This record gives sequence, structure tokens and C-alpha cells, in this order.
Amino acid sequence: MAKISLRVNGKVKVIDADPQMPLLWAIRDLVGLTGTKFSCGIGQCGACVVHLDGAPVRSCLIPSSAAAGKEVITIEGLSENNSHAVQLAWIEEQVPQCGYCHSGQIMSAAALLKAKPNPSDDEIDAAMSSVLCRCGTYPRIRKAIKQASKMKL
Amino acid sequence: MKTVSRRKFIQLSTAAGAFLAVGYVPDAAGDGKLIAQITPDPSRLDLNQFISIGADNSIVLYNHRPEMGQGTYQSIPMILAEELEVDIDKVEIRPSIASAKLYGSQMVVGSRSIQTEFEKLRKMGAAAREMLRQAAANKWKINVDQCKAKKGAVINSSGAQLSYGELVAEAGKLSAPENPPLKKRSEFSILGTPVKRKDIPLKTNGEAKFGIDISVPGMLHASVERSPVFLGKVKSFNKDQVLKIPGVRHVIQTSREVFGNKREGVAVLADNYWSALQGRKVLKVEWETQGLEKVSDENILSDSYEASKMEGDELFNKGDVHAAFTNAGNVIEAAYETPYQAHVPMEPMNAIVHVTDSEASFWGSTQNPNGIRSFLSKTYQLPEDKVNINYTFMGGGFGRRSMTDVAEEAADLSKKSGAPIKVIWTREDDQTQGPFRACSLNVCRAVMDGQGKVTALEHKVVAQEIQNQTGPNMKAGRQIMGGITTDYLIPNLAVKGVLRKRHIPISYWRSVYHSTNVFAHECFIDELARQATKDSIQFRLDMLDHPRFRRVLQAVAEKTNWNASRKKGTGKGVAIAERSGAHFAQVIEVEQRGKQIVPVKITTVIDVGICINPDTVKAQTEGSIVMGLTAAYNGLTIRNGAVAEQNFNTYPLLRINECPEIETFILESDAPPDGAGESGLPTVAPALANAVFDLTGKRIRKLPMDLGGIV
Repeated sequence: MAKISLRVNGKVKVIDADPQMPLLWAIRDLVGLTGTKFSCGIGQCGACVVHLDGAPVRSCLIPSSAAAGKEVITIEGLSENNSHAVQLAWIEEQVPQCGYCHSGQIMSAAALLKAKPNPSDDEIDAAMSSVLCRCGTYPRIRKAIKQASKMKL
Repeated sequence: MKTVSRRKFIQLSTAAGAFLAVGYVPDAAGDGKLIAQITPDPSRLDLNQFISIGADNSIVLYNHRPEMGQGTYQSIPMILAEELEVDIDKVEIRPSIASAKLYGSQMVVGSRSIQTEFEKLRKMGAAAREMLRQAAANKWKINVDQCKAKKGAVINSSGAQLSYGELVAEAGKLSAPENPPLKKRSEFSILGTPVKRKDIPLKTNGEAKFGIDISVPGMLHASVERSPVFLGKVKSFNKDQVLKIPGVRHVIQTSREVFGNKREGVAVLADNYWSALQGRKVLKVEWETQGLEKVSDENILSDSYEASKMEGDELFNKGDVHAAFTNAGNVIEAAYETPYQAHVPMEPMNAIVHVTDSEASFWGSTQNPNGIRSFLSKTYQLPEDKVNINYTFMGGGFGRRSMTDVAEEAADLSKKSGAPIKVIWTREDDQTQGPFRACSLNVCRAVMDGQGKVTALEHKVVAQEIQNQTGPNMKAGRQIMGGITTDYLIPNLAVKGVLRKRHIPISYWRSVYHSTNVFAHECFIDELARQATKDSIQFRLDMLDHPRFRRVLQAVAEKTNWNASRKKGTGKGVAIAERSGAHFAQVIEVEQRGKQIVPVKITTVIDVGICINPDTVKAQTEGSIVMGLTAAYNGLTIRNGAVAEQNFNTYPLLRINECPEIETFILESDAPPDGAGESGLPTVAPALANAVFDLTGKRIRKLPMDLGGIV
């Protein structure tokens, strides 16, 4: 066990945990933010994507200790009031069904648009192919990313 | 305004049997007798168990069916709001409590929520509206005929207006009318429009709570090791070593029942889930597998082929198939194989249960809140009102969450440890333990005359049956013929079933037997069309006088420009099906890209009767298609008595880059609403296989298919 200082959505939280505990479980069970989801635990599905110093990472594969001192942004911290372009487009295009994977989808899409504000169809597919959706919302994800890329916020 | 606190409930009577008959019995006494408390809120009146109106004009509509992505969170309130005459954008939607007494069945399976609840919900909305109209008439001392309800208010012929909030106290004194008039379809202003779902904004910012997100005080986290070989029994385990892992509190043997078979496991209980997983890594369980480790796909398949030689039980019969085959010269025969499939909801299976001497509580994502209540009540001998059911959003269900087995594990561990227990299955647990969609062998044979007309067809299904997995009864039930279209005008037509019993557990999976039978049936019809050298759509139309099937088939031909000659390197395939009343036809267009065949576009035309929310019907069809594609490309393999595919690396779900263009057209119809949650899935594999034949001349008769290995 070790004291680890995590900075999540701008707030510092010191947790007492096994340094190997994945960031996912530290965020969910110890910080108490449940928007970031567990699904496969082996970095295959992307439900647990958060931003670590601005880059999208799979929090199920990152030991908590590796996130110490870095800026972690989760779905709860992406915007205030659901106002990020990706969130607005997700609502406009009625993307989620069950909604479980969409924290990971939205965090991945937000990172994509930051890196490439006007992604092509192939770039969208390439970036988003790392996040699984069992409900099959892919056609709407494509539309929503296109729409978000056109928003001037 | 004086606060009102009474609540009125329209009673629902329940009938014995598998289906719940929803009776509509008005609150005869009209005294607002309290049956159960929905919200302890004295400033509002519940005109019935679905509709609550505040003096401040706030309208709350209770949604009684758990939401797993199917969209009834919005479509149920739409039906209520339509008849109630309120603006759907202004209502607040709240999940109802779980109560069979108040709501009848709240189980979400088989695309039934809209199909079975439509009339009841309309009456609930209309009854409340009529009470509000009568209340206005009483206040104005005029005849109710002069009062019109519109947008949350009642207006009279002189233009005066009273809002529902102003009327609710008066309305609460009235009894609910027995047969409130229902709106005509032409008067609908909400139903049939693409209303945005109110649950969606909760799902874009992390606010929506799923079962896995719930914590209760004092709770321990559990991860359960279960026998990789199905039905393995616990011989021994290294409890003491596991207890040395930091955070681990208990190591306890447990079990869960799946359709008649007890399945054993050993649970690690810890302060947090990560610690439970660390304990499980150290846990070593010795299993008694009694030879079951020798079972593999090869055994299962050879058993199925052997069994297919049996006559089978007659599930459907028209004409004299036996005579037709006896005298036939040219019999066309084909066999189709499908594998087991896992449900794979993205939210891993989980449940929190706390059992004490006097009550039991459940928190979690379930398709079956009433079932969990009954289970806990029976098992722990508690009155039903001492069982608290707190259901949440589900991160997918697909049939898997209709089972109560995970709550059973949590309850058993709670009883044994004394603490509230949260069980979370790992992805590997979900993938390897089941219950699964059944594997099947379908053997089809037919006779055609010289003109290419089918004179006889027999479809034999060899499969396990969900409701008959153990015990001596070997008679196949009608359930296993799901999806086989008997509407084709074939004079001698029979469907037969050969029941298999295996120790690998199966359950309901999106569209159930349709997902295997339609593959066989619609591929076989296509094979017959080609043998007769006829066009696949025309061949079907020539055998159909069913107006709904004809309409969707003709429409899909038109939408996909079916009759145009194929471009080189492309192919098209078609399939039709009926599921939960919805009739649909689907065309898949494929392209050859090097060695790979790629589906590029999937077009579905669907007739769901009266459509509640067209955007939801489209979303459900899109989702069904994606799930159908995954099932066409992947399946589970049984090797050494266990499932070989452990996680997404070996059981890949379809990814966005593999998703073709999907277009869905809804045909309006006056028929009552059909179920729309599974449409589009059963037709994917056959339409795709038929398209591959169109392109390559090669038949696919076994799933999963490998589109990289055909040309």
C-alpha cells in the first residue's frame, strides 16, 4: 500500500492503495467517480478511456502510481453542463442506447477532435475503432463526430 | 393552494400463466386508496401509478420498464403524454418502483414493452385526462363536453383555461373512468414523431448510474472463480493463502442455478474490487469435472448430425410432407450450423444484495425486477414487501439480464458473510460461463416441380431448448422453431424439432431462436430460388400472399435498386423475417476488395405497425444489425469442456471501421405496435451469405463465416 496523490478533474485526492491498482479502479472505487467504466480489463474495449495530461489512455492498464502528478480528466470533467461539442453532438444525433461505453467513446472523440479538428471518415474510423459498442451506435458516432467538428464553441 | 397528498392507483389484475393479462380496473371507491407509496411528496397528486401532477404544473410520468438501451424510457412516457395531452418536452420522467401489484410485469424481454403495454398506457393517460376535464367542468359548472384538454390545460368553449396544476386537487376527488375515450391515430401529435430521449444527456456526462456504479454502506466486493469446465464441482481450494492478500476478508464457496443446474464457484470478498481480483489471482480451486472436460465442438456437432437422423417432433405441419418426399425425384437438401454466442453486455454482470433476518435488498441493473423479488422472497422466506428492489439503467442486456443468477450469488454471499455484497463478473467470467445463445444444426430439404415451384419443404431444428434444459422430457417445444416463416405458400410444409440436452447452459439472446433459424431458412429459400433460376426477391414474392411481407419486400427491392444489373465485384442478398410482430426485409450489398469480401450497405425496410418513436425504431434496427454482424463473424468454441474465447481479443465484437452503411426505412401501418428491439438481427447472416453467393457462387452454410477466406 502507498499514498498516491491523484489530480482528477482539477481536484487533488490522496489515495491509499496498492500502487499497481489500475487508475480505473482508483477513480471508481477510491475517488468515487463512476462515469469511467470497466468492461474488459485488458485494454480491448475502450470503455475506460480518460485523458492523462491531455492524451486518451485506457485507465484499466495504467497503474495508479503512474498517474501520480499528472492531470487526469474523466467524463465528469470534460465540460460543465454537458457543453463540450462532442457531448452536444452526441445528444443532437441521439447516439447512446444503453450508454455504458459512451464515456469512453466521448473521451476518445474529444481527443480526436483536439488533434484533428476536421477528421476524414477514415481518420474517424481509425481513431474510434479502439472503442467497442455492443448496442451498435457506430453509424451515429460517425455522424456526431462530423457534426461536432463543425461546431464553433 | 392546499397541498394534496392522496394517491390513486388503477389496479392491474394478474392472470396465472406465462403471460400477464393486463386488466384495467378503475379505482372503484374513488377514494385514492393508497396501495403503495411512490414518492413521499405532499405537494403533488398521482392520478394513477403512471401519472403525477404537481400544483405547480410539473408533470411526472413514471416509466415502469427498466432501460437497457431499447429506448422505452422515452417511448412509454410518450404514450402516456399523448393521451394525457401534455407537452412531452416538459414532462419529467422517473423510473417507477418495482411492483408487480401496481405495474404488472416489468420484465423487459422479447421486445414486448410497447407491444403489450400500449393499450394499458393509453388508458392510463386517457383516464387521467378525463378526470382533469371533469374537474374543470365541475369548477366551471358546465358540461364536460365543453371542456377540451390541450397542452397541460383544460380550455372551455368561451376560451377560459385552467392548468392541470390548478385542477389536480379537484381531479383527485373523482374516480377514474372505466372506459376513457382514446384518441384516433389521426389525432396523435407525439406518437410517430422522433422525440429526443431524456436519458441520453445523462449518458454523455457520466451522470447515468448503472448497477456497477452503486455503492452501499458496509459493502464488500466479490469476484467469483467458477469452474472453466462446465458443471465442475468444487473439491478443494487454498483459502488461507488468499486471505493473506491485503484487503481480502473472506473466501467462500457459493453457487448459482441456471435453468435447473447448480453451478458452483468460490468467491473472494474484499474491501474493493481490485483487492478481490488480486485474491482471485492467488486462489487455486481444484474441480471435479467427471469427464466433462472431454466435451468439445466436435462431439456436439457429431451428436447433432446423429440426432438429425431422428424423425423429430412435429412443430408445424401443412399438407403431407412425408408423401411429397416419398414420391419425389429430386430432393434438395442442405444443413446449416451455428455456434454458441455470448450476450456480452458492455456492463459486466453485477449485483448488490444485502440479506438480513428481516429483509433483503437488491441494487443493480436487471431486465427482471419482479423475478429478483420473487427469488429473494422465496429463498429467504421473506414476505415480498420485505424485499427492496432498486433497479438502475442497464449497460446492455440482450436477454442476459433477464436471469437472476448473479443476484443469487450476491445473496448467498451476503447471507454467509453478513455484509451487503457486490458481485462483479469479469469479462472472462461473462464470456465463458454463460448462459449462451444455443448452438444449432438446421437440416432443410425440399422438392421442386419442373416449373421451379416448391411443392414440399421440411425444416428440422436440432437444438437445446431454453425452458427444458434438464430432466427426462425429450419432446421439442414450439419455442425452438422461432423465426421459421410458415407463410411461404408451399403446399406441403413441416417444421420438426429434435431436442438436445447438454450441460452447457443457454438462455434468451436478442431475437432468440430467430438468430439461428432464420439463417438456415432464408439461406435455404435462396438456394431454392437459385436452383429454380429465379430472382431471389421475385421467388419469395411468388410464394407470399402475406400483405406485410409483400410490402416490405417490394419496398426493399425499390430502395436498393434490386433489379439493376450488378456491378462487377459486387453482390446483393436478401432475407425476410418476422420478430415480435414486426415484419422486415433486408438487403445486404457486398463488394470484393482483394481477397476480402466486405458488406458495404445494409438496407432494412420494417413494418412495426403504429410506430411510437421512429428514431428509436431506427436505432434499435441499427443496433440489431451490428449485433447480427458480430454473430455472423464470430462465435464461441467449446474445447476441453470449456469456452475457448475468453475476452474481446479472441471474441472480437464488430468495430466502427467494420461497420457498413446502414439505412432503415419504416413503413407506416395501422396495425397495433409491434416489438422493434430485435428486428434486423435475424436477417443479417442469411442476407450476407446470400450476397456472398450472388458475388461468388459459393454457399456459406456454417457460422461464423470468414469473409476473408472465400475468394
